[in-house]
Amino acid sequence: MANGAIHNRDTFLQTIAKRLGREPITSTVLRPDWKHQPQWTVFQGYSQDDLLEVLKSQCSRIHTDFVATTADALAATLKQTVAQYGGGPVVTWNDPRFAEYRLMPLLQSEWPNEQIDVHIWDASAGRKNIEWAEKANVGITFSDITLAESGTVVLFSNSGKGRTVSFLPQTYIAIIPKSTIVPRMTQAAAYIHKQIENGEQVASCINFITGPSNSADIEMNLVVGVHGPVKATYIVVTDR
Amino acid sequence: MKVTLFVTCLVDLFHPNVGKATVELLERLGCEIEFPEAQTCCGQPAYNSGYVKEAKEAMKHMIRTFEHAEYVVAPSGSCATMFKEYPHIFKDDPEWEPKAKALAAKTYELTQFLVEVLKIENVGAKLKGRATYHTSCHMTRLLGVKDAPFQLLKHVEGLEVIPLPNAHNCCGFGGTFSVKMGPISEQMVDEKIRHIEETEADYLIGADCGCLMNIGGRIERKGKPIQVMHIAEVLNSR
Amino acid sequence: MSMKIGTDPFHERVETGINNSFMRGAVAGAQERLRTRRLEAAKELGNWEEWRALGEEIRQHTLEHLDYYLMQLSENVAKRGGHVFFAQTAEEANQYIRDVVIKKNAKKIVKSKSMVTEEIHLNPVLEAAGCEVIETDLGEYILQIDDHDPPSHIVAPALHKNKEQIRDVFRKKLAYNKTEKPEELALHARKMLRNEYLTADIGITGCNFAIAESGSITLVTNEGNADLVTALPKTQITVMGMERIVPTFEEMEVLVSLLTRSAVGQKLTSYITVLTGPRDEGDVDGPEEFHLVIVDNGRSDILGTEFQSVLQCIRCAACVNVCPVYRHIGGHSYGSIYSGPIGAVLSPLLGGYDDYKELPYASTLCAACTEACPVKIPLHELLLKHRQVIVEQEGKAPISEKLAMKAFGLGAASSLLYKFGSKVAPSALQPFTADQRITKGVGPLKAWTEIREFPAPNKERFRDWFREHKKGGEQ
Repeated sequence: MANGAIHNRDTFLQTIAKRLGREPITSTVLRPDWKHQPQWTVFQGYSQDDLLEVLKSQCSRIHTDFVATTADALAATLKQTVAQYGGGPVVTWNDPRFAEYRLMPLLQSEWPNEQIDVHIWDASAGRKNIEWAEKANVGITFSDITLAESGTVVLFSNSGKGRTVSFLPQTYIAIIPKSTIVPRMTQAAAYIHKQIENGEQVASCINFITGPSNSADIEMNLVVGVHGPVKATYIVVTDR
Repeated sequence: MKVTLFVTCLVDLFHPNVGKATVELLERLGCEIEFPEAQTCCGQPAYNSGYVKEAKEAMKHMIRTFEHAEYVVAPSGSCATMFKEYPHIFKDDPEWEPKAKALAAKTYELTQFLVEVLKIENVGAKLKGRATYHTSCHMTRLLGVKDAPFQLLKHVEGLEVIPLPNAHNCCGFGGTFSVKMGPISEQMVDEKIRHIEETEADYLIGADCGCLMNIGGRIERKGKPIQVMHIAEVLNSR
Repeated sequence: MSMKIGTDPFHERVETGINNSFMRGAVAGAQERLRTRRLEAAKELGNWEEWRALGEEIRQHTLEHLDYYLMQLSENVAKRGGHVFFAQTAEEANQYIRDVVIKKNAKKIVKSKSMVTEEIHLNPVLEAAGCEVIETDLGEYILQIDDHDPPSHIVAPALHKNKEQIRDVFRKKLAYNKTEKPEELALHARKMLRNEYLTADIGITGCNFAIAESGSITLVTNEGNADLVTALPKTQITVMGMERIVPTFEEMEVLVSLLTRSAVGQKLTSYITVLTGPRDEGDVDGPEEFHLVIVDNGRSDILGTEFQSVLQCIRCAACVNVCPVYRHIGGHSYGSIYSGPIGAVLSPLLGGYDDYKELPYASTLCAACTEACPVKIPLHELLLKHRQVIVEQEGKAPISEKLAMKAFGLGAASSLLYKFGSKVAPSALQPFTADQRITKGVGPLKAWTEIREFPAPNKERFRDWFREHKKGGEQ
């Protein structure tokens, strides 16, 4: 991709430097070692099982249904959850994990045979994908990193992992391998920071999603389900 | 123990009884009280109005006046806080900053002095009735004295202390705010009085004459049957 | 100044606010809830003061090296194919955005909540360019359809409205025919807005935190509207105040944790979205074109001054939610889109003392704001600094006050004068005194006694008693 343009930068930054009483900085600035780093102590020493419990209890505070299952039972659990949400249409990421977790038969034959439309994200179909997502009753993605403290799934976009799958459909299901659970956002941020330091390109969209969409703009009354999904379920795969 | 009393100008002029109670209380607890006659005002009225130059004159005068003292005790959280602010105000002033620091280090609000220095919680006071306590903003938030008044009041024989709802709210005094922003101040003090009334207290107790003048003045104007007392007066009741 | 709302003088705005009993009830209720939630969220962490110290240190470091981090940010945005425009003034920012809009031949623009676009008054510029501009944050949407009622709170812009008022606006403007239940109102807004997202040409957002190391922008919402605004239209324009930046993802994380806890008592809000450049090749959703507009608009004048710490602000409104003055007068009384303590500090700096000279005095200096601030801005001290500037540099203080303070300086600095003054005070006030109190004062006392009784100075000052007491006299 061609570089973008930068306008009016020099005078702008010179003004800042001047106000700060020095010349513009030309050498590299190193971040200091912050004197306090309480973020690293949250759930320090927690096992994966402990973190799962934290996640579970947080779900009740973010209006999100929590379901624990195993890799073997995942397809059945997913099917049941979608049925509870009233069935299709379903839209999912095009993500190798669906095959890895043996969900392709469900997506490709079981549901279609039951007249449940399934759209797997297909970059070659262009903006048609957005129409699918918009009409979908259920959007399904895997979680790339899961934050126990806040009950958050972290989603990195790419050509197969469309952004809108998680927020355009009426309801949303995240499949969470237990191994993706970390204490809090600190670990996710550190992971991404490392990627950048290693010269990797960060995803154009990283979503930190915590339950369904909501608003308290009317008299501070909480309304769940405003622009994004009105309901959300986390399905945790406890043996992965 | 020798205590140098910083009585505050409000007490000196308008509430001498608070000063008397402070002296009697501390004397009874074995302190020898000294009162430097040269003392005036901590400078807060001018400082909080933006008149730093004028305030600094008053502050220097107070620093000189209390230079010799071992402990400086004031029956006011707000005025004691002001003394504590002096080092900040005289920052980078080679002559006055060290002196300001010395004064700040030895200054205590009355209840803080009783609990932290004298280590006394039961002063042997008796007062019959139902009371609630107004936590003044400067004393709790800036001076950081939150528990001392309650520890002391707990031991006053016959006194039942009811928690004041929304105690964290300012009473609306704010020095010149009370006159410059009269209509807002009025709403704030009325809200405070509503909460005081909810406790059905006979006494409203506080540790700052500014707040008490404001709340008390409004209570009087509205003819409410609540008696306003400074904590020194309560602790000196027998 | 564009951040200004309304033209009534300050005391009239205050009077309007005080007389608006619904607004006051709504504000008091909201403050109570938000304050409690914030305290609970802080308590849950256990070491909140450490978090605050970290937040402060990050913000201070970033501001001290702001030019460096903005340089890094802009380089990284450009590398990912985004365009960056540095706007010294509101006019420059608006001009650039207008040019993009015209070039794209845009007709419909969807926006997610952004204080800085309110500050630079962007919407009228876009509307004048022939665009339909739709605010998608529910609160902002309500205000917009109610003939552009200004926001009264930086996080909950429609805080001053009740559900019945909102229902009536919906009925009048959106052919709504249901009840005042928030669920039904929100559902209607959802339906109305869905189609707007899908058909908009441009999405405009604010920016909670830009991340220098990657050229990313972070958007924090509960509704998810920012995701729709940035995923669906072909062009995205993000407008940020120049100080809204952090070095890396790791600092973003800390500040987001402070922001969501302080603003709404949540560990994280429902949607935190980090966007880097336009969509990648092969991506289907996300914008084809991305523009980042970095706005100074008076901020650089604050750098290097005693007020620099105000730029640490992360717009959480914790100070607003604890302010007793705000509770009684509401956001519109401040005459600025930035209300409450942060507004009282920031508005005179960005908008000048002519319009905002009263705001620094609309505080009792109770320091509830300072105590609540997650990045430790000494708000009440900055209000004091404003007063000092107004007196010393602006010369805007009334003459009577100047004289009184001069006299105070002399009197309080001289024990002789103080003693004399305090000695004669009772007799000077004698004509107004009845029964040991003053009910109708004159001068500054008049304002006091309009509301409350004033104690008459005692004939026997404390010092007179003490002298006798020491002599061993009776008492």
